[in-house]
Amino acid sequence: MDRCIGIINGGDNENNFGGLCKHRPVYMLPFGGRYRLIDFTISNMVNNGIKSVAIYTGKKMRSTMDHIGNGNPWDLNRRFNGLFMFPPILENDYGLYTGDIHQFHSTEPFFEYAKEKYIFICNPDILAKVDLNEAFKYFLDTDADFTLIYKKQTDSDGDFIRKDKMIIDKDGNLKSMGLNLGTEKEFNLFLEMGFIKKDVFLKLIRQSIERGDTNYLRDAMIQNKENYKVNTYEFKGHVENISDLKNYYDANLNLLNEEIANEMFYENGLVYTKSKDEPSTWYGRDSRVQNSIIANGCIIDGNVENSIIFRGVKIGKDAIVKNSIVMQKGIIKNDAIIVNSILDKYTTVEAYARIAGSSTMPYVVEKNQTIRKDE
Amino acid sequence: MNKKKVVAMLLAGGQGSRLKTLTKHIAKPAVPFGGKYRIIDFPLSNATNSGISDIGVLTQYKPALLNSHIGIGSVWDYDRNVGGLRILQPFTSEDGGRWYTGTANAIFENIDFLEEIDAQYVLILSGDHIYKMDYNDLLEVHKEKCADVTIAVMEVPWEEASRFGILNVDESMKIVEFDEKPENPKNNMASMGIYMFNWKKLKHYLVEDSKNKNSSHDFGKDILPKMLEDGNKMYAWNFEGYWKDVGTVKSFWEANMDLLGENNTLNLYDKDWRIYTRPKNLPPQYIAETAIIDNSLINEGCVVRGEVNNSILFSETRIEEGAVVNNSVIMSNCTIKKGAKVNNAVILEGITVEEGEIIGKEGGEEIYLVSDEGILVE
Repeated sequence: MDRCIGIINGGDNENNFGGLCKHRPVYMLPFGGRYRLIDFTISNMVNNGIKSVAIYTGKKMRSTMDHIGNGNPWDLNRRFNGLFMFPPILENDYGLYTGDIHQFHSTEPFFEYAKEKYIFICNPDILAKVDLNEAFKYFLDTDADFTLIYKKQTDSDGDFIRKDKMIIDKDGNLKSMGLNLGTEKEFNLFLEMGFIKKDVFLKLIRQSIERGDTNYLRDAMIQNKENYKVNTYEFKGHVENISDLKNYYDANLNLLNEEIANEMFYENGLVYTKSKDEPSTWYGRDSRVQNSIIANGCIIDGNVENSIIFRGVKIGKDAIVKNSIVMQKGIIKNDAIIVNSILDKYTTVEAYARIAGSSTMPYVVEKNQTIRKDE
Repeated sequence: MNKKKVVAMLLAGGQGSRLKTLTKHIAKPAVPFGGKYRIIDFPLSNATNSGISDIGVLTQYKPALLNSHIGIGSVWDYDRNVGGLRILQPFTSEDGGRWYTGTANAIFENIDFLEEIDAQYVLILSGDHIYKMDYNDLLEVHKEKCADVTIAVMEVPWEEASRFGILNVDESMKIVEFDEKPENPKNNMASMGIYMFNWKKLKHYLVEDSKNKNSSHDFGKDILPKMLEDGNKMYAWNFEGYWKDVGTVKSFWEANMDLLGENNTLNLYDKDWRIYTRPKNLPPQYIAETAIIDNSLINEGCVVRGEVNNSILFSETRIEEGAVVNNSVIMSNCTIKKGAKVNNAVILEGITVEEGEIIGKEGGEEIYLVSDEGILVE
């Protein structure tokens, strides 16, 4: 994997998350008690031996800067290679920049200068612990220009409606790409990740800029697929495609399934994140915790059930937290009740206050908010 | 700005033989404590939180794990461009190699290091103690009194005073007498083994002491009494707070249990005085539907399906359904299988307690130390 640069293409698709993405990009959403979505992507790259990781941050990049820092948790704070952060360029003399093609074009020297000949590119909103070494080997062995990674996804609940659907021929080459409308029991879900030869990548970028016919790499690739060898690689593990509040909530609670948790947390190596140096979690005499994921630094005196509790949360006596996600440093006071809710960082729920969403539409408390009891 | 430089010298070579199998493979400062720490994390965190930017760590006894735990000190922000952390091991020179033969000798052997980095004050610390202290408080008193050495002391229960080095002082806290483990102590102020020296003065006494064939080259027994005899200005500074030197398996167990007590004074949750340790990058803990947990500290990577009362679980320990753990300290990567019962125990890393096995007695006084060599009762 030394010969491959990793690119994280952080988009600006933040409208479907209630208040959670007011101040952060989707890939910075907290996940699994102590992580951010992007931790899974970076860690998987690093664990598979990628030495250079470039992050296209998108516009709301303050939390990204704070979290990623110099890349230390992922050992990307190298003197050679390591982490590259690309804040967005929003306009130039010719007009507004809209798609990722323009972002890639503006960082062309980075690609030209890099000695690596191949690129792994992915969307950090999709979590899948793909064995990148295996996939890379397939890409090289088949001498493909692109290898796109997909999963044969069943979707009885319609969670994957309007997601990218790939039509693949019997040799594993891409025939076409469309949207899943749920007409088939199982479809080929494009995981928005894949390998590409660097010279092909640069050629497509320049061509798209010159012709002005597309703003996105994905579209450029599909429009030109007749000219290149575009094949596919199947991933068989668990996938979370975080695209709205509901599937973000579900993806978190899915971690209460032991098999899924083990795959997400341990497969192909550990997930690294910024350390908060919290002590262990203390469970008080009156606490009752069932089927929950609890991070360190919490002080738990109340009841927690089917929930994900992030670092440094305090839950008071006789409080009830059920089917909920409580992010970092949340304070739930005595006798408060929280059901089917997502509490962003640094929220406070006062004593005897009650909040509840439904399992299909969780209630969201935004960052730094305080919920008081109704008078 | 000509700021006078404080260099901390952390003595971390101790064996801690009374800790039995706890220190079979590791030095005492590397012994795990409090759910996720090693004892040495406390003085190292104190040093960095006190803004000390130069620190030497003197290791000797089985240093492999300690050295890899400390690394270049990045966890404590000691991976610095100017200053930083240095591991100071015994070394060889023209006249052969020498082990550190005493606390003072360990510093004597590193005189060149302290000269090289131009120390003004040298703070002697022990890697064996569990406490939180702002060393600036000690330094302030030291400067204020224009002292040659200032010693941190704390009041110990009178009945225990004869176990410690007791300092007798006048009303200005000037030390008038050292009383090493006195039968009839005159007061209850015990030396904590934390000393702030003027480097020039200390250097003089270290060199002199090194020539004395009858000396044991120990701060408490040789250097400090000699300095007092010569009429140096020596002061005591009274520290208030939690402090523990865990000498035995029982006191190790007690120190851990202190964290669960209602009157615990060692606050690990203070965000303004964090205790740092090397992160293991583990996922959060999972508490299953069948779990019952009462007054316990549980760390990352644990899976709890059984019952845990008044206990501390280190990382990645698994408590199976129906297993019961009472009043125990269970270190990393242990498995307590179905139906097993563990009482008043300290279980070392990687031990599996088999199905139905019973360790310890409920309500007993004894502590059970479980290692791959079997069970020791204390």
